[in-house]
Amino acid sequence: MLARDLMVPFPAIGMNDDALAAARLMAEQHLPGIVVCEPDGRPTRMLPGPDVLRFVIPQYVQDDSALARVIGERGADRLLAELRGRKVRDLLPERGRSDLVVAAPDDTVLELCVLMARAHSPLVAVVEDNRLLGCVTLPRVLDVLLAAR
Amino acid sequence: MAAFAVAVFVIAYALIASEKVHRVKAALGGAGLMLLAGVVSFEDAFQSPETGVDWEVIFLLLGMMIIVGVLRQTGVFEYAAIRAAKQARGRPFRVMVTLVVLTAGASALLDNVTTVLLVAPVTLLVCQRLGVPPVPFLIAEVLASNVGGTATLIGDPPNIIIASRAGLSFNDFLTNLAPIVVVLVIALLGMCRVLFRKAFTYDAERVAEVMELDEREALSDRPLLIKAGSVLLAVLAGFVLSSPLGYAPAAVALLGAGVLVLISGLQPREYLAEVEAPTLIFFAGLFIMVGALIKVGAIEQLAEWATDATGGSARTATFLLLGASAVLSGVVDNIPYVATMAPLVDSLAAETGNPGNVLWWALALGADLGGNATVIGASANVVMLGIAEKNGYRITFWHFAKYGSLVTLVTVLLCVPYLYLRYFLLA
Repeated sequence: MLARDLMVPFPAIGMNDDALAAARLMAEQHLPGIVVCEPDGRPTRMLPGPDVLRFVIPQYVQDDSALARVIGERGADRLLAELRGRKVRDLLPERGRSDLVVAAPDDTVLELCVLMARAHSPLVAVVEDNRLLGCVTLPRVLDVLLAAR
Repeated sequence: MAAFAVAVFVIAYALIASEKVHRVKAALGGAGLMLLAGVVSFEDAFQSPETGVDWEVIFLLLGMMIIVGVLRQTGVFEYAAIRAAKQARGRPFRVMVTLVVLTAGASALLDNVTTVLLVAPVTLLVCQRLGVPPVPFLIAEVLASNVGGTATLIGDPPNIIIASRAGLSFNDFLTNLAPIVVVLVIALLGMCRVLFRKAFTYDAERVAEVMELDEREALSDRPLLIKAGSVLLAVLAGFVLSSPLGYAPAAVALLGAGVLVLISGLQPREYLAEVEAPTLIFFAGLFIMVGALIKVGAIEQLAEWATDATGGSARTATFLLLGASAVLSGVVDNIPYVATMAPLVDSLAAETGNPGNVLWWALALGADLGGNATVIGASANVVMLGIAEKNGYRITFWHFAKYGSLVTLVTVLLCVPYLYLRYFLLA
């Protein structure tokens, strides 16, 4: 099977879109991350869910996890308020760690496996003519591999 | 041979001070050259009490690092800091007072860098809750850690070096330095009240956010806390008794670390997490380089010049040592400075006399307090700045120096009447 047969529709968001909207989209559609497009529409980056968390959790709590227990539920409730007024580009990790893993529509399952394994990414974007067609997820690839046994 | 040894030492020291090369590389490189050229032999470098690696210092540090590594995992520091802030009822200056006193006290018993690593995250949390700028609190704490660390033999690495070289006990430090350190902490608090007065805005609603923090949740492993706390107390008691009973503080620390490793049930990567191997290796290299200077007679020569410069007067030597150490420790790391100066002071003391070991106290006070003058004066300062920056608060060299140099000046000046009255006038 080829990438075009395995891909599923996947939402994308712009670099300058609202960060809170991106978080909401991830939550509503149960996405582990979201594809980010340049202002000219080219899909180039991936915003992983953990990086949204890394942004909203204060650095000092990440450094000293005992403080996470001290703050309690009410403190946690206020965390997402940090996203207010922020753009998606503010949340993106540095280039290299957030580069989108891209496949062509006619890439084979093995090529997709290599891309995922090399980039440690559970998601590969299928792109044609700088346009996002959809994404292939790790479970889809594993399904194909298991069915072939 | 003497010229070669001095040249190697000066180049290595310049590299360490300028941070052009990692300090471990510079110290080990210098030590290696001294050995290779035959300035010191294997026996001189590793077995001689005069010119060799000071194993007492290395193993005391190692033991304390292991104990702190275990204690850190209990959450007791976070508990104490949040409890202190809550007892201050969220009043910003009172919070600063409690955190400064806590930091100074902890620094007297633990390494300054560790203390700063523990107290800074809690400070950021409390300040964010109170809606006050955290930078003044962070600066006040790091200044307090350098002042507090001066009080005991184990509070600051320069003190460990001095104790070993001079044969001074834990109690000697406690009785000679702790009294003046108490005065200095009070003076520091007074200065903080004035210097950071704009940071103390009170907002009753924000205070409620501090009061709702549950410090008991920080205590993640109570059985481990009991074990580690008991061992730390036993080790402190061991330090106090080490002199009358005639055993070395390093033996106490290592014994405590060994017992804690046995009873904690932790894995090596957990109890060794705080062991800074680069620091220990740096110390070893440094000792070999300084030993080479002793071997070729360079330290003896310097001591003769210093004796001439002071006219053979212990009083002049004391205050010169205090002032020069404070200034130099502000611009170079106080560890290599004290490692170099300790044998020199040893020789100087033989020439000028050393009533009540005053020269050693002057060296300790000057070197430890001088570390506050600039960011690069002490490792704890660099660490605190790094934490501030990671959390979005940039403290520049000059911003720190503005407060640090003033605190250094005042604290060192306060030491002058103390040393004069206690060791000369009333001796």
